[in-house]
Amino acid sequence: MRILVCVKQVIDGQAPVVIDETGAWVKHGNISPFRMNRYDEFALEEALRIKEKFNDVTIDTISFGPPRVSSTIRKAMEMGANEGIHILTDEDSFVTPFEVASAIASYAKTNTYEIILAGAMSEDDMNSQVGQLIAELLHRPCATLVMHQEIREGGKELYVEREIEAGRRECLYLTLPAVLTIQSGINTPRYPSLSNALRARKAQILTIEAKDLNIPEKRERLTGLSYPEVSSKGTFIEGTQKEKAKKLLGILHEKSLI
Amino acid sequence: MKERILVIAEHHKGHIVPTTYEAITFALELNSLARAKVLVMILGKSVNGMANMLAETTGLDVLGLEGDHLEFYNAEQYKHAIEHAIGNINPLYICMTHTAMGLDLAPGLAVRLNASCITAVEGIKPNGGKLSFVRSMYGGKIQAEIIPELKKSIITLLPGAWKARERYPDKKGSVQIKDVHRGVSISRTFSVKESEEESLNLDDADVIVAAGRGIGTEENLHLVKDLAKIFNKSAIGASKAVCDLGWLGYKYQIGMTGRTVSPRLYIACGISGSSQHISGMKDSQTVVSINLDPNAAIFNVSNYCIVEDVTTFIPVLLEEYKNFVEA
Ligand SMILES: Cc1cc2nc3c(=O)[nH]c(=O)nc-3n(C[C@H](O)[C@H](O)[C@H](O)COP(=O)(O)OP(=O)(O)OC[C@H]3O[C@@H](n4cnc5c(N)ncnc54)[C@H](O)[C@@H]3O)c2cc1C
Ligand SMILES: Nc1ncnc2c1ncn2[C@@H]1O[C@H](COP(=O)(O)O)[C@@H](O)[C@H]1O
Repeated sequence: MRILVCVKQVIDGQAPVVIDETGAWVKHGNISPFRMNRYDEFALEEALRIKEKFNDVTIDTISFGPPRVSSTIRKAMEMGANEGIHILTDEDSFVTPFEVASAIASYAKTNTYEIILAGAMSEDDMNSQVGQLIAELLHRPCATLVMHQEIREGGKELYVEREIEAGRRECLYLTLPAVLTIQSGINTPRYPSLSNALRARKAQILTIEAKDLNIPEKRERLTGLSYPEVSSKGTFIEGTQKEKAKKLLGILHEKSLI
Repeated sequence: MKERILVIAEHHKGHIVPTTYEAITFALELNSLARAKVLVMILGKSVNGMANMLAETTGLDVLGLEGDHLEFYNAEQYKHAIEHAIGNINPLYICMTHTAMGLDLAPGLAVRLNASCITAVEGIKPNGGKLSFVRSMYGGKIQAEIIPELKKSIITLLPGAWKARERYPDKKGSVQIKDVHRGVSISRTFSVKESEEESLNLDDADVIVAAGRGIGTEENLHLVKDLAKIFNKSAIGASKAVCDLGWLGYKYQIGMTGRTVSPRLYIACGISGSSQHISGMKDSQTVVSINLDPNAAIFNVSNYCIVEDVTTFIPVLLEEYKNFVEA
């Protein structure tokens, strides 16, 4: 069985995000702290668990983006993925989920993956689209926000539970091959082992130029970026820690909360 | 072909989910800009009652799609049913909420109907004869305006971004119910499990002190617990990140896939303020947030914002509280 895991490189959530001079996209300095999208760590871990449970499972990992994303592909291999595939773009720019999904689907089409895993959402763009789009482009069933999965019927069917509102779970069967988007909390992602880390360091990453993949036109266009207005109701409490603490207690007391 | 703005209604246990009315508000706003009539679509095993209720309260036309296979939401069956029911309707926009259902359905449906797809939308702006849709990125630190390039668009709306209307036209919309056939079943939803975790009395608490990943370690949880203790009728809560890390059980989770709370006071400690978290606590009367990052999105929904390290600030706050009580 072959599994493909989509991994995206994102800027760490605590780093400042700056709109570039042209206003066309955000600026990523060379020192920006990049890491793997957290939801994709959960997806990769889930793939590794399937591999440990069944014989003959190989895991490929794929990422779409500029040269910097190869470090995230390598990180996935350190965690235990067998092969890395990089769909290489020239630069950091706004890409739509449809373009990313089309590129990944066109690669996956010629390779028989029983299961394709993606994260529930990318932490930067926050679309929650790419997995579902890949599934539709490949005419495969898809379940999103997956919190539990089990391969059944000798590998023909996948039993899945997805997390929905108020802690409820929807239970469904998918016919394989299928696509899942993984919700955070499904497992605890592992740290790379030394042997995998050594192997990953030397491993070749298969690089494909995005322009060779016939990616369709954008279906959505970005026309503006801005910083959100801080809501007028908010007051920033200033001072030393002690002064802030005193002011806050004063406010809470006035409101009869303490 | 009749041009329409379509709203896909969501329901649970025979009741329309409240966010459906937010999607209707959005559709009516689009209607005033795009001049196409709004049609509400509801799918299920038996939807006659809910369809009539919707037509009565909103004054809008409602199309119900029925079939035994639609008892539970299922992406494959919904896409199949919607694609076939649309027939000679030309939906310029298909609107639904960005819920577990909406985000599951929208992208695939967009590919099938050859439509643009924009998710988690929070605003609309006219843009040179077209409409752009505003959505957050980077955990709410950036807002993007996006224009659909295709004739049809599927839009999912961030829960809470539009308010349900209080008044609708004083007339009843038409109701039409159609039977739909089952699509090829490469996916079958057969049940919905209720939450296994018994709920805490988060609903009764006057004050909720909530922990986020920013507390740093499980050991630091005691800070949040100690802070909660200074209030009467208080409880602790958590972001999903904290529950995922196993620092607290899922019954403490507040937000879209956790509990919805509206205490008199909500104190967010080291919580970034993702839309999914905010949707569970935005109706709190007073919100105080403590976060190291002055640009954290949680400050956009807070009454009092404190830019500090929670691990050092809470001890100072507890110390000052002691002085305060003694004084
Ligand atoms: C479909 C779906 C449903 C979801 N449902 C929910 C839900 O119900 N509830 C929920 O909470 N989330 C939910 N999420 C997850 C959500 O998107 C966020 O990932 C999550 O809320 C982040 O939790 P956090 O704010 O604790 O962590 P982070 O986003 O990692 O933020 C940590 C914050 O702590 C601050 N910080 C760091 N160190 C310190 C310090 N020493 N002192 C002060 N501040 C510090 C940082 O500046 C940052 O703002 C859902 C996601 C999806 C895709
Ligand atoms: N550039 C990318 N390269 C690889 N996978 C991606 C990329 N963008 C998105 N994905 C995958 O799709 C998921 C959902 O992303 P999104 O639709 O942008 O929220 C992510 O968690 C990844 O698994």
